[in-house]
Amino acid sequence: MKKSAFVVLISLLAGFAFGCKTRKPALAADPVRQAYDSEADWSDPQRIIPLNYDQAQGKRIFYTQCVWCHADATPAGPSNRSNLNPMPAVMNDGTVMNKESDEYLQNIITLGGSALSRSAMMPPYGQVLTQREIQQVIAYARAIAQPPYQPPASPGPKYTAR
Amino acid sequence: MPAEQMGQISPRLRLIFAVTSILFLLALAISPIRDFRKEWKRYKRAYVRFAETRPDTKRLLADYRPQISQIWLPDLGVVDRCTTCHQGITQPTLINASVPQPFRAHPSIPHPVLQWGCTACHRGQGAATETTEAHETTLAWEQPLLPVHFIQASCGTCHRADLPETPQLDRGRALLVQLNCVGCHRLRDVERPQMLGPDLTSIGTKVSRQWIYKWLKEPRTITDSNGNVTVNGYATGGLPRMPQFRLTEQELRDLSGYLSTLQSKPVKPYHFEPRVLAGGKTDPADQGELRFRQMFCSTCHSLSVTRAGTTSLIGGDIGPELTKVGSKANPEWLIAWLRDPQDYLPHSKMPRYQWSDADLYDVTQYITKRLTDTDLLTGVPELGTPTTDEIQRGRRVFIDKGCASCHVIQGIPVQRELGPDLSAIGARDVSQLSFGESKIPRNLIAYLQAKITDPLSVNSAARMPVYHLPPEDLDALTTALLSMTGPPTSAGLQKLVVSQKQGEFHPAGEFGRVYERYKCYVCHQFNGFGGTLAPDLSYEGSRAQRQWLIDFLKDPKTVRPTLVLRMPQFNMTDQEATTLATYIGAALNSPQVDAATIDMKQFTPEKAAIGKQLFEGKYACQSCHTIGATGGYVGPNLNNAGNWLTPAWIEAWLRNPQALVPDTIEPRRAFTDDEIQALTAYLLTLRVSGKQQAATQVARAANRSRKSEERP
Repeated sequence: MKKSAFVVLISLLAGFAFGCKTRKPALAADPVRQAYDSEADWSDPQRIIPLNYDQAQGKRIFYTQCVWCHADATPAGPSNRSNLNPMPAVMNDGTVMNKESDEYLQNIITLGGSALSRSAMMPPYGQVLTQREIQQVIAYARAIAQPPYQPPASPGPKYTAR
Repeated sequence: MPAEQMGQISPRLRLIFAVTSILFLLALAISPIRDFRKEWKRYKRAYVRFAETRPDTKRLLADYRPQISQIWLPDLGVVDRCTTCHQGITQPTLINASVPQPFRAHPSIPHPVLQWGCTACHRGQGAATETTEAHETTLAWEQPLLPVHFIQASCGTCHRADLPETPQLDRGRALLVQLNCVGCHRLRDVERPQMLGPDLTSIGTKVSRQWIYKWLKEPRTITDSNGNVTVNGYATGGLPRMPQFRLTEQELRDLSGYLSTLQSKPVKPYHFEPRVLAGGKTDPADQGELRFRQMFCSTCHSLSVTRAGTTSLIGGDIGPELTKVGSKANPEWLIAWLRDPQDYLPHSKMPRYQWSDADLYDVTQYITKRLTDTDLLTGVPELGTPTTDEIQRGRRVFIDKGCASCHVIQGIPVQRELGPDLSAIGARDVSQLSFGESKIPRNLIAYLQAKITDPLSVNSAARMPVYHLPPEDLDALTTALLSMTGPPTSAGLQKLVVSQKQGEFHPAGEFGRVYERYKCYVCHQFNGFGGTLAPDLSYEGSRAQRQWLIDFLKDPKTVRPTLVLRMPQFNMTDQEATTLATYIGAALNSPQVDAATIDMKQFTPEKAAIGKQLFEGKYACQSCHTIGATGGYVGPNLNNAGNWLTPAWIEAWLRNPQALVPDTIEPRRAFTDDEIQALTAYLLTLRVSGKQQAATQVARAANRSRKSEERP
């Protein structure tokens, strides 16, 4: 009889020590509904790309400043892209954009095309957008790239425009 | 017991002692073991192990403390121990998505974590030291974390005016206004407007009983094969403001019968000149369609277009969608309405146009003959004239269903706050919500979304109508509701509230009369008041030359070629246009633009030639601006810049566009003073005479009518 009392005592203590933890089932994880924002893949509207905070800010800036020349459809209808020669890259075109490093994109957005011996039609945004906002635009462009963007394994030396 | 056995212990008793001592020691060890195994301590140790795998271990561990850490901000009432586990929250090198939680750094936002705490935005329990208690709803602590998808609600708790960084919240707030939620609910920062739904006092003169029946049963008349309204990029919600109520067949009959008898203000028939009725060579409906387009009715009203099996609405959403209005409105009512909308609805946003008899006739012919749908009323039973019983019952239905919350009928008192007060819904605890029989997750967000999309699922006696919202809009609306957390809980929070800017602009005098007649403020901003569809006119007097303004007001020419929504042609009189231009020139000026500093003699032809080179070569302005027939569509067309813009404005604009229009997308460039002078000199040489303009107008109109013929 005493033995059974011990057993009860020990199991009580053990229960006390490790607690009666019941885990609630995790919420159904839909990455899009959990994300800060999302964007439909430009080349496949059925596929929704979740965006984090920085990418979402980049999306907002893209749709005010960049969309007019760097997309084939704009919120106001036709794109300005076809009016330009050379034609600017579409922002999600991975075949063009994935080759360029973050630093290069940061520079061309900050200083404009002519500063990097590219088309003068790309104006400089260094006085309109902050460096942080430009990074967010790049983060957004990386997020929507098709084929998807793979970041380089070891980043090169950091170059700053200022 | 014998004496020799005193003080001796039996082996059995020894065993019991030994076992209980061990048990006692074990029991003593429980507390330190439990303490060692505490969840937050495990995260503390895990962070050290994680930091050792990173290249910058030293910096990551520089201010490592093994205790509980907390952010204490007495002013805000914040005691947040979240940083106990979220130890890398301020480490810039841990920002990457590859860093495991809870160690990832917070993205850089305008409110640094250490100065604002965590729970002010993310909610949850700041003082809790266990994940479940901190993140979820528990018995003692109800407030769960706000999912990041709805986090913009927290911005809206203090920022009562819209922010560009919170598009989802802004959209939700716009929907709260657009869907007339304030008709039945008390909301924070949303005032009851003068008119929610149309005044129905004379609705019987406008539409038939059959049409009312159809509208009450199914207000959406434009649907594609899936029953959806799809909207392509243009600014229109595609939703009628009238929601769908659950009405029985009997109620539909009674209510339509009652409403059709409301004819307190009869329509005065309008007699056209016989010359107009006789007509010309062209079909008046064709001519009316052309005028409908030229006058840019589509800036406020949308029409549905079906292309490749997708139905979409094209046009603005300030006024109602008009695709089938010809099968709705009584033609005589329509003429009276177009001549003077405020006579029928005193608070309508529709401007009172100046009509010529011919235009009025043609446009009404177009609307009543072409914007029709013969199938609109199929399925509506033969209703006949309403009986006295039906009328009486219909009046009761009108009151019981809460129609009087949004619609005015003379003799029926306005109902206010038929639904619950929602001004603190965002802070409601789960235990205060009634979920009824529904199987949805027990949290506020699921509750709100169920309530909006299917009110009966959580409350079988709900009077709330059904709203069919696309998922993005549903999430936006939920975000706006979550942002309404009631009055701030502390004086510190009260101080943080950034209130809405609300100063109405209703000038007096002759200008005020014309301004109200054409409802300029529906689209344009004036000193922070008005719509956002069209350019802000607060500084228009500094920007535009007087003569150009007068000409533009009388016949608005396209300044920005790609816009679908453009300034309507009001057919203003000379007198009205002059009144507006005079007031704008005198009162709406920017302190940054000083015409007195400009010496016109400095703009020599040589400078203009340099300016042309700068424009076309160095700065490639033509990538966005059209001159002649070439150039981009992004900025305004500059063909007539010399007649349009004042020299002082051009110089100030080139120096710093954002100083004049803060949200302009014109990039600010580092021009030298000489370059600014040269560019200004060049732009001032760009002039188009009235004749040339007329020619381009004709060409454009022809182009447009050709396009319309291509339409299916």
